[in-house]
Amino acid sequence: MKTAETLLSVENLCRRVSTAEGELHILRDMSFEIKRGETVAIIGPSGSGKSTLLGILAGLDDSTSGAVWLHGTNICTLSEDQRAALRAQHVGFVFQSFQLLPGLTALENVMLPIELSGGRDARDSARQYLERVGLGARIGHYPRQLSGGEQQRVALARAFACRPDVLFADEPTGNLDAETGARINDLMFAMNDESDVTLVLVTHEPKLAARCQRSISIQAGRIVADSGAAEPAAS
Amino acid sequence: MIALRWLMREWRGGELGLLTLSLVIAVAIVSGISGFTERLNRGIVAESHRFLAADRVLSANKEYSFAWQQQAQQYGLNSARLTEFQSMVFVGDAMELVAVKAVTPGYPLKGALRISDEPYAEPYTTADIPAPGEVWLAPRLFALLGIEPGGSLSLGDQDFIARRALVEEPDGGSGFYGAGPRVLMNAGDIAAANVVQPGSLVRYRYLFSGEEGALDRMQTWLAPRIDDRAKWMTLDENQPTMSNTMQRAERFLLLAASFGVTLAGIAVALAARRYSERHFDTVAVMKALGADNAKVMRLYIGNLVLLTVVALLIGLLLGWALQSGLMFALRDLIGFDPPSPGWRPVVVGAVTGAVCLAAFALPPVMSLNGIPPLRVLRREVGETPAAGSSAVYGLIGIGLLMWWYAQSWVLALAVLAGMVMMMAVTSLLVSQLLRGGRRAGMQAGSARGLAFAALERRRHSNAFQVVSFGLAMMVMLSLLALRTSLLDEWQLQMPADTPNHFLMNVRESQIPEVEQFLAEHDTESAGFFPMVRARLTHIDGIAAADLPDVSQDERLLTREQNLSWAHDLPDDNEVIDGQWWQSGEVADGEMAQVSLEKDFAERLNLKVGSVMRFDVASLPLTAKVTSIRTLDWGSFRPNFFFLLQPGALAPFPKVFISSFYLPKEQKPALNDFVRRFRTVTLVEIDLMIAQAQTIIAQVSAAVELVLVLVVLCALLVTVANVRASLDTRLQENAILRTLGGSRQLITRSLLIEFALLGLLAGLLAAAGAELSVYVIQTEVLDLEPSFHFWLWPLGPLAGALIIAAAGYQACRVVVNSPPLAVLRGL
Repeated sequence: MKTAETLLSVENLCRRVSTAEGELHILRDMSFEIKRGETVAIIGPSGSGKSTLLGILAGLDDSTSGAVWLHGTNICTLSEDQRAALRAQHVGFVFQSFQLLPGLTALENVMLPIELSGGRDARDSARQYLERVGLGARIGHYPRQLSGGEQQRVALARAFACRPDVLFADEPTGNLDAETGARINDLMFAMNDESDVTLVLVTHEPKLAARCQRSISIQAGRIVADSGAAEPAAS
Repeated sequence: MIALRWLMREWRGGELGLLTLSLVIAVAIVSGISGFTERLNRGIVAESHRFLAADRVLSANKEYSFAWQQQAQQYGLNSARLTEFQSMVFVGDAMELVAVKAVTPGYPLKGALRISDEPYAEPYTTADIPAPGEVWLAPRLFALLGIEPGGSLSLGDQDFIARRALVEEPDGGSGFYGAGPRVLMNAGDIAAANVVQPGSLVRYRYLFSGEEGALDRMQTWLAPRIDDRAKWMTLDENQPTMSNTMQRAERFLLLAASFGVTLAGIAVALAARRYSERHFDTVAVMKALGADNAKVMRLYIGNLVLLTVVALLIGLLLGWALQSGLMFALRDLIGFDPPSPGWRPVVVGAVTGAVCLAAFALPPVMSLNGIPPLRVLRREVGETPAAGSSAVYGLIGIGLLMWWYAQSWVLALAVLAGMVMMMAVTSLLVSQLLRGGRRAGMQAGSARGLAFAALERRRHSNAFQVVSFGLAMMVMLSLLALRTSLLDEWQLQMPADTPNHFLMNVRESQIPEVEQFLAEHDTESAGFFPMVRARLTHIDGIAAADLPDVSQDERLLTREQNLSWAHDLPDDNEVIDGQWWQSGEVADGEMAQVSLEKDFAERLNLKVGSVMRFDVASLPLTAKVTSIRTLDWGSFRPNFFFLLQPGALAPFPKVFISSFYLPKEQKPALNDFVRRFRTVTLVEIDLMIAQAQTIIAQVSAAVELVLVLVVLCALLVTVANVRASLDTRLQENAILRTLGGSRQLITRSLLIEFALLGLLAGLLAAAGAELSVYVIQTEVLDLEPSFHFWLWPLGPLAGALIIAAAGYQACRVVVNSPPLAVLRGL
């Protein structure tokens, strides 16, 4: 059962960088909350700041001011190592460029986050997830031996294998053709439904955003529209 | 455990190939060179002890009655004794003055005697000495005495059977003790023959061999028991020329191996740099997936340590195979059984592996610590590794390894300073040279334009490449230049026609006849030098017997000496104090001038301005010291402690001394010579010269081989370097090909780019090598500095060719693969 408890809370978040032309505001005074089990799309044109927002929400990047509360902890005040520990416990990722390690097989790529978080039975668990994404027969293949769609399926298996509370997806189908992208999206939403995972995805595709319960639109670093925290639906 | 699993995965994924290869080759080359050098060195030292026929020799003028032999036995040493003297042998009416050597069983302790059953027949090695009642003769003595092997001769009061011809004795050249052909007899026959009387001029040599420590204890035990005229001799004292050659060879080999270590280190650093660059994304992903810095570092350092251990084991094994293979391949050339390699190569290999890990491989890998997890979203973040601090660690590592290896701070610091200078100058120069105005785009219209634009676009990484290419080439060229000057020096020191016979007591009237004889036998003398026998009686008015601050031993120098004269300073002499005389003959009423050999002057406290008085055939001669000279005893030409101004010795009776070269096959001609010139003393040093030439040939072969190994090492660095720079080039070229650039265009542009880099690196390497060779020649090897014209065309040319070839080889496969496969593989 999904609950309506707040998992992620953003308060007055700003991000500025200094350039030769002066200070550039990438994110301006953003505030919103995301509840456990929600599926949220962050949408906006290129350069609107959506990937920067995702990076800060996931604890990969620093904010200039404001706070991001994940699981009751303000990650903006944590050190890099503390944020890494938090990510290991609660966060999963799917990237546009897949980010599989070229030296590891599909199975080993999926085992990696389980091993890093000290989990047991990494091999069996990874194998199950690869079977779930339809790659049970290709567990020994290296990323270079897999197609783009297959690589993203491995990335999905890796993201779900560590049983995260929240999954951040950065343009997950941006590098794939429409048909393969649609299949990956189906798989991602299906797996999301099967697990108790909050999904935050960055996209500029309205069709993909429409599959989420909620959309936050960004332009020039500001939230211009938020479809509001939808009532979590029963799976 | 996770480190081990990680290592296995990385290994299977092919990420560790170049790094492992570099580490393995570093350890293999260093332990191989070290093992080879060590064995060769020990072998040559052992071999050169043949010159003494022992490890140590006590040379004395009397027979010691104390129990030296029992004491040597107690220390675990082998021992033997030689008694050397001159005597006459008789066969009927024929008689000859001979140099007798009476030996005890066990002689020689080092090396071997070679004998033949008939004079000039094929010789063989024997472990025996003549049996009591028998003697072995120099081959030509059979003809001189008119006997065959098995014939009888008289020596002293006893008759002996002349059983064998003595072809070679290991210590044949240990000083010219006694003239005349050799007779070897058993020491047990001395008493019966009654040839050694009280007062006879006899030299005793007590031979010892065994462990160094035991030899030192023996020396200590002997010290209070022997008189101060007895001399404890090592190879250094007995054979200064050989000792000098050995020392230079050893320093060269150490230097070459140190350069090998340095090159191997650079190869490891380059491979580790590429490895770490290829892991930027991996680390970012791991951090994004929740690995903290400590965990990432534990994983990578654990991985490296494991890798080093594996590489060390493989490298040591290969190193062992390398040195065994070299020894096996060279066994004929080396001419002796090399001693076992011992543990040193293993220790050297292990320490090299550890230092390579700590100084060269760890710093680039440690820089992964700074890769932020954000890189998973923004690839441009965390792009540059800390090259500066890596270079500092690398230089510290090189310095430590060189110091440890060559045991010389001066050398380590000099090489380090040279490297830092070269790195700084090259980086600055190359980045400026390659700047040449920013070109728009790729200039993809022609191969040359494309190459120049690429050189300019990547000028910083190119400067780094030129530095490491340049360093590798500098090492190669330096060693090549040093090897050439070392071999030239050795060749000059003892050319094939080095005089191997000395003539003494030649009267002036005999000179034309002797010269004619030599000409008849296709040889000529090295010139005739006048000689007058004299006693030094006074120095600055003080009688020689009362000289203060001069030991008993040195006072012996005032005994009979040979004086000579010369108009001009002999070729291999050098005046180090005072001045050589400008005027011709000594003028009437003026005091004659004398030039002294440096060591002799020092031993008797003689200086420029000292006045010496000699007794020449009961007539006084006074001369003033006007110059001090050094001279080359290794030249095998007659040399003199005292050279006087021409005319000073005119009133005194004189004889002449000369030397000449006679090939082995002409040896029987000496019999005619001895019969025709009865009064002339002939000293044969051909065996000693031949032995010295053999050792020099062995050492030269070793130097050549080690040079080849180091050049291989330098080529490894070049290949590692080219590979390390490939990724960016390949990516650009794959894109170019995707956009329609032909393979030919890309191949040509790559060739031009690499050739230009090689040209530049070669030029800088030639300059660096010229400078470092000068320092090493003057400070380390004590050679005359020389300029090497050939370095300047060779450096750039070889640089361009080698680097273009290595670059082409590395790019060939990828240029021929579909562009998409290349882009995916990166």
